[in-house]
Amino acid sequence: MSDVFPKWTNQLPLKLVAGVLLLGGSAVAGIWYYFTPAYTRVGYQPIQPVSFSHNIHVEQLGLDCRYCHDGVEKSWYSNIPASSVCMNCHNQVLKDDPKLALVRESAASGRPIPWVQVHKVPDYVYFNHAVHVNRGVSCVHCHGQLNQMDEVYHAKPLGMTFCLECHRHPEAYLRAPAEVYNLEWQPENQTQQLADGARYVKEWNVKRLEHCSACHR
Amino acid sequence: MSKTVPPPCPEPATGPLYWRSLEHLAETPEFRAWAEREFPAGASELRDPHSRRDFMKLMSASFLLAGAGLTGCRRPVETIQPFAKQPEGYTHGLPQHYATAMPRRGGAVPLVVTTHEGRPIKIEGNAEHPLNAALARDPADRHGGTDLPAQASLLNLYDPDRARRYTFKGLNSTREQALDALAEAARKFADRQGKGLCFLLERSGSPSRARLQQLLTEKLPQARWFTYEPVDFDPPRRGASLAFGRAVRPLYHLERARRVLALDCDFLGVEEEAYRLIRGFARGRAPKTPGDELNRLYVAESLLTVTGSNADHRLRLAASQVFPLAAWLGAEVLEAGGAPAPGTPAAAAVAALREAASGLTPEVRRWGSVCAQDLWASRGQVAVLAGHRQPLAVHWLAQVLNFQLGRAGGAVGFIEASEPASGTMAALVQALHGSEVDTLVVLGGNPVYNAPADLEWAKAQRQATTIFRLGAYEDETAPHCDWHLPMAHYLESWGDARTADGSLVPVQPLIEPLFGGLTELEVLARVGGLEAVKPHDIVRGTFQGLAPEGVFEENWKKYLHAGYLPGSAAKAVEVELQWGTASQALAGMGAKPPPSATALEVVFAPDNRVDDGRYTNNGWLQELPDPITKIVWDNVVYLSEKTARELGVAVVDENRMNLRVPVVRLESAGRTIEGPAWIQPGLADYVVGVTLGYGRPAAAVGRVGGGTGYNAYPLRTTQALGFASGATLQLTGKRYPLSCTQNHWVMQGRPIVREANLETYRQNPQFAQAMNLPEPPYGLDEQHRPKPIYPNPLDQLKPDATHWWGMTVDLGACVGCSACVIACQSENNIPIVGKDQVRRNREMHWLRIDRYFAGPTADPQVVNQPVMCQHCEAAPCESVCPVNATVHDDEGLNLMAYNRCVGTRYCSNNCPFKVRRFNFFDYHRRPLDKLYQSPLTTFTDGEWEVKRWLKNRDRGSRPQEEWDLLRLAKNPQVTVRMRGVMEKCTFCLQRIEAAKIAQKIQAGASADVEVRDGAIQTACEQACPAEAIVFGNLKDPNSRVAKAARQDRGYSLLEFLAVKPRVTYLARVRNPNPAMPDYHQQPLTTAEYLEHGGTLIPHGTGAAPGAGSAATNGGH
Repeated sequence: MSDVFPKWTNQLPLKLVAGVLLLGGSAVAGIWYYFTPAYTRVGYQPIQPVSFSHNIHVEQLGLDCRYCHDGVEKSWYSNIPASSVCMNCHNQVLKDDPKLALVRESAASGRPIPWVQVHKVPDYVYFNHAVHVNRGVSCVHCHGQLNQMDEVYHAKPLGMTFCLECHRHPEAYLRAPAEVYNLEWQPENQTQQLADGARYVKEWNVKRLEHCSACHR
Repeated sequence: MSKTVPPPCPEPATGPLYWRSLEHLAETPEFRAWAEREFPAGASELRDPHSRRDFMKLMSASFLLAGAGLTGCRRPVETIQPFAKQPEGYTHGLPQHYATAMPRRGGAVPLVVTTHEGRPIKIEGNAEHPLNAALARDPADRHGGTDLPAQASLLNLYDPDRARRYTFKGLNSTREQALDALAEAARKFADRQGKGLCFLLERSGSPSRARLQQLLTEKLPQARWFTYEPVDFDPPRRGASLAFGRAVRPLYHLERARRVLALDCDFLGVEEEAYRLIRGFARGRAPKTPGDELNRLYVAESLLTVTGSNADHRLRLAASQVFPLAAWLGAEVLEAGGAPAPGTPAAAAVAALREAASGLTPEVRRWGSVCAQDLWASRGQVAVLAGHRQPLAVHWLAQVLNFQLGRAGGAVGFIEASEPASGTMAALVQALHGSEVDTLVVLGGNPVYNAPADLEWAKAQRQATTIFRLGAYEDETAPHCDWHLPMAHYLESWGDARTADGSLVPVQPLIEPLFGGLTELEVLARVGGLEAVKPHDIVRGTFQGLAPEGVFEENWKKYLHAGYLPGSAAKAVEVELQWGTASQALAGMGAKPPPSATALEVVFAPDNRVDDGRYTNNGWLQELPDPITKIVWDNVVYLSEKTARELGVAVVDENRMNLRVPVVRLESAGRTIEGPAWIQPGLADYVVGVTLGYGRPAAAVGRVGGGTGYNAYPLRTTQALGFASGATLQLTGKRYPLSCTQNHWVMQGRPIVREANLETYRQNPQFAQAMNLPEPPYGLDEQHRPKPIYPNPLDQLKPDATHWWGMTVDLGACVGCSACVIACQSENNIPIVGKDQVRRNREMHWLRIDRYFAGPTADPQVVNQPVMCQHCEAAPCESVCPVNATVHDDEGLNLMAYNRCVGTRYCSNNCPFKVRRFNFFDYHRRPLDKLYQSPLTTFTDGEWEVKRWLKNRDRGSRPQEEWDLLRLAKNPQVTVRMRGVMEKCTFCLQRIEAAKIAQKIQAGASADVEVRDGAIQTACEQACPAEAIVFGNLKDPNSRVAKAARQDRGYSLLEFLAVKPRVTYLARVRNPNPAMPDYHQQPLTTAEYLEHGGTLIPHGTGAAPGAGSAATNGGH
């Protein structure tokens, strides 16, 4: 009676199982790493129609965030400034510079500048800027060191895990209201931050907002 | 408004080119060209390229071009387009509120409208208006109610079937040409002094229009003016004017009335001013303590209306018999204080009244006599209202009784009310046939559809040489016109009006006319060749004449800001009863025979939802279950049970999913209509009720309202506008499918709606709690409260939470008007699903009004109960969700995370209140008539759906122009749910969060994060004209909701389940008169409950006070 199956098929089930496990494992690992916001979003640095540099304007010239983003303290939306705000200075400073041609044209004609959106949360998330900046959360925690960026890039993942880190431990991130727009401010050390943070949490009645209603409506 | 032409909208730059050239974004000419256009392809109907719209999430979806693969795994590029020059005071993301008013036939409803990003999305009442502010009980209690049409009118603004174009003889024209034609007409008639020029107007209380009419009458004295309203609410004014010999009308203050008599008057439903009469009435129906006084409502009517469903005593009789009853009642009252001296006109009038009542049966007379005694006993605090369809005699009599019984206590006052003289429709038809009309200007209205049938209006209209018509829709009247001009919606118009008390209110536009429409004022001004043609200038001109002393601009700004002109309310006038006009009023009002099976009486009623046909294309109103029948998307022919039996009409509900009723043919004065029959409990015998406003073809009314119901107007003649006698009814043998949301009408003894008479309530204030089940199924815990079956994670979190949200619904105040249902739909982006889906019980209303009958079918009592998600602390829905999409937050709300929901529907299965709604289809993005078609086989806008989807995944299968408009109506603060997702009432979470955030922003670096009482009003609470719903923080013992929930009358629905709902219902208290022949010792629902073995005796131990009620359980 000859062998029905060739010899190498003896190892086949084992190899198949090992192969599937390996494949499945790498698929899971790949998705785990590559398909999360930490990989897909962090580092996104699109080319903007006008090469506005936060470094020049904030770090070197000392503009406050709210000069341009004036709605951040009142509304959920932190607005990109209107072209007329740019023209407040640029009708004199660099007033013929070709890099600002689009700005001048926009201010003159009324057509908006199509800035490419960098930070966006999904539609089912309702994020409110005003309540964060008024309650001790600084811009740098979510937007990174904006004051040093020549071109804005997506510095933090902004996924739900990222938000929950702070919502679960607000004392690790809160700062004095006066320092919210001071993007260079650092706590002396982690212990000091936690101590101050715990005090703010107590004094300001800051809740650990982990319930869905905080962000999802 | 300048002449602007819509810009041509070329297709955007192709996908691949755009993607590849991202590096050269600023320089690419295609991109530049694309960026220059405000709106991408498809939105070309929207006007004005120079206005600013900030796109954000709405428009950015159109950037999702089909660049598959070119973008890699990154999300598609979206742009932010800020202003080039930001308007002062505008902060993007914050809603803005403007005061305006909704003009009605005789008055207006004062409103405050919320706009987001330049478009109005929610209508609320104006709490600051004197009519509303006068009823505020404390400074925190600011409430401005609205009614059903006010809430639903928003959708008419965004109706894709609106008139959008200027047409001449049916062909497209332009705005310039239309305006030129109007100017031409102005020149022509200026020479002729207006000879041959006729205006057909709707009734309006606008001072600007009156002023223009005055100016035009001076300039063109030979021009003729006619007014026509298919449903005329003017008779009360005419009756009062006749009774007192001067142009006055009654102003009711029902909060000061202890007894109200409604003579075929649906003042809580379709009659004018319902929004404020409901509030006044409800004040006397919701006792806070057993010692409070209640008012008492007597109703005599033929159809079962919302008012009748709230009556303490209701007499059903044919509409033609209301006058004899009123006459008897009136004679009793007029003789109650001593008979008038013989020989005086008063005595003659009383004798005539007695004569007119001679045909009444003894039972009806007894009803009338006892009622009259009660009214006389409460004289000074009585209000008598007569319905619009009743003859002038009834209105005259009602005002005479008001004079005798209502003035002293302030329940009824009289104010000056003159209207400009105008001719009737019949006179206009005569003029038309006499070739006296050269140019006819029709402003609004729809006379071809709703003019009395005997006038044969369509033929008559065509006799005019030239016809200009300003219409909101290209409806039945449009094909018979020469120039058809699109009318601007009131939310897009400048105008003014006067509210019921005579206060001047502005009508302020919230958005520029979406389709470049004109307002009535502008057309009048142009035809008259006046200087000021812009409605803004006209309104300012009117204000100039009415403004108080001081700087004009300051007054103007304050007027627009407040939404009314302080001090402009009409002063009450002292009136004298003129008995001399009695004979004129009573002329020809002899006794009429009551209807019989061979001589039926047809009663014409404006529909509770679509009015006289003006809202037929409004999807929200079509899908709203009728407050009485709970039928959607159709109207029916009402018959009482006895009538139906004698005529052989049987309505059998074969099974709940398949209601097919017989179609009947109704014939009156040689005209016939056909319609589906419906047996309506509580209808008077041998009366056939027909409702107006339906039966219109899709070509005339639009996609939504086309083909719904039957048209009752062909039966209506000038002699019988309110009701017609001598009709006959036969079966046609056909059947018609109906969709009804509540087929099962009775509670069968279960204490779902709990009510008691005032006497019982006073003796036993805790009767509502006494109706709790004494031994709940799952036993009691240590504190003798029912044990919950589901876990309650809230118990640990509750003490630390800042707020405990809760709501009370006062069933005594709720009249069943359903304004809350539409408000919820408007606020929360709830879709409409269409008649077929409603038949499958898939209606999406988060808040429903259950309506129960109790007692004999011929003459039942009616109760209403709004039911929404009860936000149970021990929620049955939360423990069964396999993906944890529905969870509880620490403040007591039961939440829905839509993005987690996979559509198991176990939560809805487990909900004992059945308040969860599932999106079986994508009702927002798919056309409702094609829900069952595959997207692969549908063909929209000339393209296969698959291709369209690839081009723009966000758009859905609706035609582009429909999609663009309907998208604007959505509230951006609320998620729009897609197919496969469960949804339910969220206690207006977006408003709660907005208030919490606002409080935290204000608190800043402090602990003052508790939201103040009154800062949050849920949509239903804010819309309710009866103030029946109160929402707030139960943790604060001084909040309105905490106080309300602590009332004796409070109970929870299905308390034996121990789910600890956060909604407390306050039991209804009726106030019947023991002397009346139809007095019941218990309300009939309670009698039914007692028959089934229930008890009203509070239980000694066990689940008595505190059972299941979160309010009283608070803090445990």
